[in-house]
Amino acid sequence: MDLSYTAAEEEFRAELRAWLGANVPDEWRRPGFWASLPEDESFRLRRDWERRKAEAGFAGIQWPVEYGGRGGTPGMKAIYDEEMVLADAPRTVNPLGLTFLAPTVMAIGTDAQKKEIIGPMLRNEVIWCQGFSEPGAGSDLAALACRGVRDGDDFVVNGQKVWTTNAVHGDKIFTMVRTDPGSERHRGISMLLIDMHQPGVDARPLKQMSGASEFGEVFFTDARVPATEVLGDIDDGWRTAMLLLSFERGASGISQYTEFRRQYDAIVGLARTLGRHTDPVLRDRLARVLTDLECLRLHSMHVLTQVEQGRDLGFEASMTKLIWSETFQDLWEVYDDLLGEAATLDQVSTESGGVDLRPLHAQSLWSRSVTIWGGSSQVQRNVTAERVLGLPR
Amino acid sequence: MFFALTEDQQEFGAAVRGYLAERFDLAAVRGVVEDTDGDGNPATLWKAAGEQGWLAVTVPEEFEGLGLGLVEAQVIARALGAGVAPGPWRGTVLAAEAIRLAGTDEQKATWLPRLAAGAAVGALAADRALAAVEYGAIADVVVTTDGRLVTGASGTPRGSYDGTVRLADLTGGTVEELAAAPEIRSRAAVLVAADLVGIAREALTRTVAYDRERRQFGVPVGSFQSIKHTLADLHCTITMAEHAALYAAHAVEVGAEDAALAVAVAKAKAGDAAVASTGAMIQYHGGIGYTWEHEAHLFYKRAKRLAGQWGDSGTHRARIAELTMGG
Repeated sequence: MDLSYTAAEEEFRAELRAWLGANVPDEWRRPGFWASLPEDESFRLRRDWERRKAEAGFAGIQWPVEYGGRGGTPGMKAIYDEEMVLADAPRTVNPLGLTFLAPTVMAIGTDAQKKEIIGPMLRNEVIWCQGFSEPGAGSDLAALACRGVRDGDDFVVNGQKVWTTNAVHGDKIFTMVRTDPGSERHRGISMLLIDMHQPGVDARPLKQMSGASEFGEVFFTDARVPATEVLGDIDDGWRTAMLLLSFERGASGISQYTEFRRQYDAIVGLARTLGRHTDPVLRDRLARVLTDLECLRLHSMHVLTQVEQGRDLGFEASMTKLIWSETFQDLWEVYDDLLGEAATLDQVSTESGGVDLRPLHAQSLWSRSVTIWGGSSQVQRNVTAERVLGLPR
Repeated sequence: MFFALTEDQQEFGAAVRGYLAERFDLAAVRGVVEDTDGDGNPATLWKAAGEQGWLAVTVPEEFEGLGLGLVEAQVIARALGAGVAPGPWRGTVLAAEAIRLAGTDEQKATWLPRLAAGAAVGALAADRALAAVEYGAIADVVVTTDGRLVTGASGTPRGSYDGTVRLADLTGGTVEELAAAPEIRSRAAVLVAADLVGIAREALTRTVAYDRERRQFGVPVGSFQSIKHTLADLHCTITMAEHAALYAAHAVEVGAEDAALAVAVAKAKAGDAAVASTGAMIQYHGGIGYTWEHEAHLFYKRAKRLAGQWGDSGTHRARIAELTMGG
């Protein structure tokens, strides 16, 4: 058992911490700061900041130097994620690209794709969207209907995608498109890399139950994409998509623990402010959540160990998604219950004045989404039961 | 970063599991459970525990032990839990730990080599009353968590529906003072948590195997989604409990800052996991799972008993609240 990082990794941490200390404005750390900005402005600020961070060498931590990365270790990536949380650094504007597309490109992309995709993504010159879900194909991704018809050197794409993160800010979208006209289900799909800046692509925001618009819809009307802009083989997009989804979180779980533990501490602080912290039922429920949070931390150390040992985690990614999302939702359910009759109020009064609950409510409402996107909990349970435990389909 | 068992540690666990599978399977366990007049410590198994180093695991080499630590001990505990193995292994290891940590040179020289070899049976008791002590009736030496070393006590049997153990209330005997061993309760809780984790995993594995084969409505019952989802959730819970038991053993061994929290997390998670998993084992075997002939009750009853030992889940969660919320 060795739970430490190497000297080189700790050196990297110190360097990164110093840079973040000097480059994350104090104002940004104030609760509710980001929510107080208009969406476009928030996106622009974060996009620029992240570009500067990349220029300082703190991006693509694990990707090879020749493709614009830092050439670091999985441990450095875990440290990077954790320090970003500790510094209250803004969330990336390119999450789908960095978490899913980049590792897939590194695994199966052509050398040209590695050069063309990774560097510009790290500098936020290209914001990537993911085009998977459709109105008729949510959990059942193989039911997708978006189609691409070969026309000379191009595919001409028609159809609709939905729940597209950053749809209105996107530059390119990696999209699951049925390219073999007679095909059904998992066969005959390709993962096309479509330029969103063209007349045939219309991206619209989608207002969520929280009032925010992280997601959107993308409509393709005779959109064109060169047939060479495919990740993996043509008509073999299912295999590409399964590989891509296997990068769910991976070694970045340690930062999730750090983030959720801070939220736990904030909720405990609120309980104290409201005089609810001595309630034995509440204490038991918080302790249950804390138990699961600690297990999440240990699980991320397990995942990092497996990654460093070069082992393939395979379908274990389903368990990882399931436990973090369910634990996160449990945490925010305790928050709701702790408020009692103030559960939906914007403000709650205490002896020392009012507490603005809106930033916390935003997290609580967001927690309803995490067990759906990226493969719902029900799908993850099916995968775990069938692929890990071997129960019959 | 290396949060996992080393190859040596994995081999140690495999050796214990292998021995139980070949030489002390569930039929043998059942023999002990049904022999209600017996002392609950089958000679063949005890001999193996002494010969194969299961008892010597944490005893220093200078006292004829293996000089390993709590991480290796929890590997053995997990294997014994998976096999619902009877016998005073845990009590003997914990008595040796208490003496190693707090005993005089003379007490160490007297007891450690004998406990390591299985020449003496040990027990750890939680209080001065010496009530319901595991294998108290055959223990040559009983150590209490408040620092007493008792020999020659006489035991009155205490009935328990978990037949994989024998319990006794103890009175009399000779008492020697011993310093209170640091973290001995934590060590006990970790080894019980590991036993529970072993029970939980084995119960799930057996249930999955059965539900893949058992057919109703023309299909395997394991193809039904309500069963799949419950078993998938159990797999997640048990995996987390496995992480927690492993980490708690390590944290106590190295005196990590968060050792107290780690122990509480491990015991609460493992207890809940084992009770849920063995309950599901009964439910998802259907009627056969409720019979005496089926093995489900061996796992369930052991889980029920151990879930309450060295602090039940609620007690440990109260501790977690104290550590993370203050009073």
